[in-house]
Amino acid sequence: MQKKSDQYMIETKDLVYEYNRRDENGDIAEIVRALDGVSLKVKKGDFIAVLGANGSGKSTFAKHLNGLLHPTEGVVYINGMQTDREGNVLPVRQMAGMVFQNPDNQIISGIVEEDVAFGPENLGVSTEEILLRVEESLKQVDMLPYRKHSPNRLSGGQKQRVAIAGVLAMHPQCIILDEATAMLDPAGRKKVLEIVMRLNKEEHITIILITHYMEDVTEADYIYVMKEGKIATSGTPGEVFEQKKILQDCALELPTATRIAQLLNEADIPVGDGILTMEELADRLDKLRG
Amino acid sequence: MVSEPEKGCSMIRDITIGQYYAAQSLIHRLDPRLKIIATMVYIISLFTFHDMAGYVVAILSFGAVVALSKVPLRFMLKGLKPIFFILVFTACLNLFATPGKNIFAIGVLSVTWEGLWKAVYISLRLIFLILGSSVMTLTTTPDQLTNGLEKLLGPLKAVKVPVHELAMMMSIALRFIPILVDETNKIMKAQAARGADFESGNLLQRLKNLLPILVPLFASSVRRAGDLALAMDARCYHGGGGRTKMYPLNYQKRDLCGYLVCIAYIIVLAAVVQVSPF
Repeated sequence: MQKKSDQYMIETKDLVYEYNRRDENGDIAEIVRALDGVSLKVKKGDFIAVLGANGSGKSTFAKHLNGLLHPTEGVVYINGMQTDREGNVLPVRQMAGMVFQNPDNQIISGIVEEDVAFGPENLGVSTEEILLRVEESLKQVDMLPYRKHSPNRLSGGQKQRVAIAGVLAMHPQCIILDEATAMLDPAGRKKVLEIVMRLNKEEHITIILITHYMEDVTEADYIYVMKEGKIATSGTPGEVFEQKKILQDCALELPTATRIAQLLNEADIPVGDGILTMEELADRLDKLRG
Repeated sequence: MVSEPEKGCSMIRDITIGQYYAAQSLIHRLDPRLKIIATMVYIISLFTFHDMAGYVVAILSFGAVVALSKVPLRFMLKGLKPIFFILVFTACLNLFATPGKNIFAIGVLSVTWEGLWKAVYISLRLIFLILGSSVMTLTTTPDQLTNGLEKLLGPLKAVKVPVHELAMMMSIALRFIPILVDETNKIMKAQAARGADFESGNLLQRLKNLLPILVPLFASSVRRAGDLALAMDARCYHGGGGRTKMYPLNYQKRDLCGYLVCIAYIIVLAAVVQVSPF
């Protein structure tokens, strides 16, 4: 335990991750630096978004946060625990749960409730406690009626909610969503984000949302934008969305409302800056007219 | 992309391996370990006698269990369809190829009393072998079955058999079968759209034509396996040690009664076979 970093849920210092790319003969062709000096601090209870295009290193970063990968250089602390220290693996993974991209490939059991129970079963939680946790977690993601169902009959969004319940049942303080909305239809995506936000507001669970959709991150407390393994820029959503040049370099697209607002501004219709959602845009336009 | 199940594909999602029939019955509630052992006892017992009295006991016991299980008989009989050909084949073979007292002859084929008798009891054996095991699969969910097997084979851990790992593999395989069937369908459609032909040509050609389905299927299965391993790691999976269960298997009074019924069955069967005049 490191006392000084206890106030932070996540702290990374000069995080570097390299891996070897091999050619057909199995010889090392080149060393790829997927993460290059990432340092950041996340306070407990925050809703953080990490934005980046494909290959920006954001998923590699996510895998460091629950000990699936260990840093080549630098350190990662989760609630003060160093992730690559022996004996910290299980506590770190219990503390920081992870939801992955493909809903089919992360559900382990053929029955919803059995899948939610998988995490606590691994942690050696008692039978009565598991039953309580399964019910509570399924309730939190609005999936309790599907308790006895087979995951194969659920939609993508519903499966992703089951996966979130599976993480919740381990009683984590932090949930990392690694492109968890990327494969979902708009309605499923909206519902998953709604639940994630509710968990953040009501249960004070720290959320790390990793995505390449800027629409997903308008509600975040703070955004980090990644490019080629480095943090290209960071700030509140309003601040980040103003940095058009950097976002373009990172191959990221602004939320539709923000883009329309910027175009309107350029066309001498002064709706103003910092517009993130369609509601805000409509408000400003109303004000202009009135 | 994951979307709502299409109409055509949703049929495939309905396939359940072992075709569990959901109902509330005493047989459903029994411990899977008891059901596995009882099924084995029943199947082995079918091979221990050669007279009609034994079959009467076996058939009556089967009928009693089916009545208790509340599974309609036609569901049980469905299980016989795939073995229908083997059934007819073995029956005919025994009917015509057993030497003994002739009943009648058609050309070189002669039917004997011994052959007729043998054909009947071998068919009965085959039929009740399948029916007996389908009672188990119809009344037990695949998860319960793997749980039961894991517990039953538990003692083998002492001789380094990876029992937990085998059970885990089995339940993951069961979970992924419908997903892979779905995926095969998608790949077949994709390849058909590119002009692949799965229906014409001789056997060798058809097998060759399957290659464009198998290669992507294998590739994606390997990717899925990698993803799943990561997801299991992330949820603190570290093998069978220190694991608890949401629904641990605990024997109830009814299971003890079940074992007693099993023993009673063996005794009655042995007695009947001993005293029967046939």
